[in-house]
Amino acid sequence: MTGSIVRGRDRAGGDLSIDADAVVVGTGAGGSIMLRELARAGLSVVALEQGGYARAADFDQHEERMLSLLYEDGGGRMTDDMAIRVLQGRGVGGSTVHNTNLCKRTPGPILDLWARRYGVSGATPDAMEPAFAAIERDLSVTEMGADVRNANNEVLRQGCDALGWKGGPLHHNRKGCIGCGFCELGCTYDAKENALKVVLPQALAAGATVHADATATRILHAQGEVTGVEATALGPNRTARSRIHVRARVVVVAASAIGSAALARRSDLPDPYGRLGRGLRLHPGAVVAGRFERPIFGWRGIPQSYECTEFLEWDEGGDKRVWIVPAFAHPIGAAATLRGFGASHMEAMRAYPHLAVLTAMVHDETRGEVSASSDGEPVVSYPMIDSDRAQLAKGLAACARLMLAAGARDVTIPAASPVRVSSVAELDALDLSFVRPHQVPITSVHPMGTMCMGDDPRTAVVASTGEHHQVRGLFVADGSLFPTSLGGPPQISIYAFALHLSPHAIARARRAL
Amino acid sequence: MVALGAGVTLRMRGYPEPTRPLVALSTWQYAVVQHAARRIAALDASAITAGAPDPDQTDVAGFVDGWVARMNPRTRRDLLRFLVFVEQVAPLGCGYLGRFTRLDAAAQDQVLASIEGSSHALLRAGFEGLKALVFLGYYRDPRTWSVMGYDGPLLGRPESAPGGAAR
Repeated sequence: MTGSIVRGRDRAGGDLSIDADAVVVGTGAGGSIMLRELARAGLSVVALEQGGYARAADFDQHEERMLSLLYEDGGGRMTDDMAIRVLQGRGVGGSTVHNTNLCKRTPGPILDLWARRYGVSGATPDAMEPAFAAIERDLSVTEMGADVRNANNEVLRQGCDALGWKGGPLHHNRKGCIGCGFCELGCTYDAKENALKVVLPQALAAGATVHADATATRILHAQGEVTGVEATALGPNRTARSRIHVRARVVVVAASAIGSAALARRSDLPDPYGRLGRGLRLHPGAVVAGRFERPIFGWRGIPQSYECTEFLEWDEGGDKRVWIVPAFAHPIGAAATLRGFGASHMEAMRAYPHLAVLTAMVHDETRGEVSASSDGEPVVSYPMIDSDRAQLAKGLAACARLMLAAGARDVTIPAASPVRVSSVAELDALDLSFVRPHQVPITSVHPMGTMCMGDDPRTAVVASTGEHHQVRGLFVADGSLFPTSLGGPPQISIYAFALHLSPHAIARARRAL
Repeated sequence: MVALGAGVTLRMRGYPEPTRPLVALSTWQYAVVQHAARRIAALDASAITAGAPDPDQTDVAGFVDGWVARMNPRTRRDLLRFLVFVEQVAPLGCGYLGRFTRLDAAAQDQVLASIEGSSHALLRAGFEGLKALVFLGYYRDPRTWSVMGYDGPLLGRPESAPGGAAR
C-alpha cells in the first residue's frame, strides 16, 4: 500500500473524519521519522502539516517568495518583546527544507548531563549510537572538505588557524550539491537529503498519508488518554475551509518546540507541576561583518561548512558556551541587518561582495516560555539572562577577532549604534555592554525544550519514552524534548530521538489495537 | 471620546487614492508606507547616476500591501498601529505639527531617524520591522541587484558560476 500527500487544494470542501492507529502533527525531522516508523510497523498513520507541500521545482531562489513559502510568518516571528527573531520552517518537511544541512550528534556530555541531572533514562551515548548511525546512513551524512569551502567559510578557517583556535569542517546531509549557496531558500537542485526528499517518501511508501495545509487546533483527550486531533483544513489563500477530525489512540506532536507547546497549551493538557511550555531555549545568535580588500562573494557556495569550537564546552553555568559559524545572507536579509537607512545605507550595501559574516550562537541557559494567545497563536517569551548576554558579547568579540586575524580591513557589529573596529587594540578596548536584546539584532533558528523529557513528572512533561506523563498515548518527537540546549544544530538530535523513541509509540499503538 | 474619534477620522482623510486596488492596507496606510519607503530605500548618488529604480518604480508599497494581507493577525495589528505612530505622533516629537506624509524629505528622514534611535525598544523594533518590509519590496527587484554587485539567483542565470565546488 502506498500513501499520499493531500494538499488543501486537493481536498473536497466538506469536513473530513479519519480513523487511524496514530496521527502525527508536523512533518519535519521528528514527525517524518515517527510517521515512517509507525507506517513501517504496519499501523495506519496520518500526518497533519500546517504548511503547504512544495518541492524542488517550487524553490526559485528569490528571498521574498521563499520566505513566504517556507518560513513561519514569512520569517517574521518574534519574541513577545520584539527583541529576537525566531526563524522556523513551515511546510511538508518542516525546517529541514530551509536549513543549511548541518549534522552534529547530540554531544556525549549533554546526554550524560540529561541522565545525571534531568532524569532522562535510556539515552546515554552508547544507547543512542544505533539511532545516530541509522540517521546518518539514511541522510547520507558526509564531511564537508576543503574542496567545497567557500570564501566566507575560508575566512573562519584562516582566523582559527592564525589564532590557534579549535575549528574544523562540519558534516552535512547533501548529495549532488552544486554549491549554489541558496540552501536557506530550499534546494532547487534537490540535493538536500532531508525529511522532504528522503524520509517522507519512505513513510508514504509504507502507507502513511500526509494532509498538508491542515492546522492542528486541539489534541483530544479524556480520562488520561489521548483520543485524536482536531484540525482546520486550509483552502486556497490559506483560509479556513473545513474541519478535519482524526480519531487515533496514539498522537505524536512534532510541530517544533514552539508549535507543539502552543498546541498542547490550547488543548488544556493536564499540567500539575506547571512545566508545559516552560524551559524554552533558543540558541540566540548575532552576527559580525568583516570587510575585506579581496572579494568574498559570500552568497556563493555552501553557506556553512566550517565551525569554530574554541569557546564551546558543555558544563552548565560554564564560561565557554558559544558556537561560531559563518552566516551569510542574501541581499534582503543583509539589507535588513545593516543599520541605518536611505542613501547612506545603500552606499554601505556596496561593500556586500567584500563582506564576510560570522555568527556567534549561545549554548543558552535562559528559560523562556511558550504560551498561546487568546486566538491560539504561539506567544514566545524569552527574557535573556545576564550570563547568556555575556556569552553573546564574548562570542561577537571572538568573531571580530577571527576576522581581523583573517585579514579583515575592519569589522562591524550591527547594533542600534553600530560599532566598527579595525585593529585588535580597538577591539580589546571595546566596552561590550551594548550587546544585549534590543541593541543588537538577535536571531534564533533552534527553539528547544518546552515539553522536556525525564522520568520525574514533577520536572518533566514527558517520560524518557517520549510519552506524556499524564496523558497516555500522547508522544512528543521534536526539539521540545530536550531538557537543555545542545550548543549546536539540532536536526540530527531530533531525527535520532524520534527514531529512538518510535518503538514506544509503536508499542502503545499496538497495545491499543 | 466621540470628538477624539472624529478628530482621528478627519486626520486620516485627504490622502491620494492609490493607482492600484489595495488588498490589506487602507489608503492612508498605503501612503505612509509609500513615503517611508522613499526615504528608507532612497538611492545614493551612484545609484541615481546608474539609473537604478527608486522605491516607487519597484512598487514597494504595493508589495507591502500584499505581504501584510498574508501576515498573522497579531503582527499585522502591531504594524498598523506603528503606522499610526509614524504618521501622527512621531513628527510631533521632532517639532513638526504636520503629518509624516506631508513633510519634506529632510524632515521625514529626521522623523525616521528619531524612531530608529528611540530610547523605546518597541519603537526601534517597529522601525526595523517596517525597514525589513521595505527592503523586501525593494531588493526583490533584479534591477536593484547591480547596486551591490549581487548576481542574483543561480537559477536562470545565463553563465552559472557558483563559488563553491560541486559536490
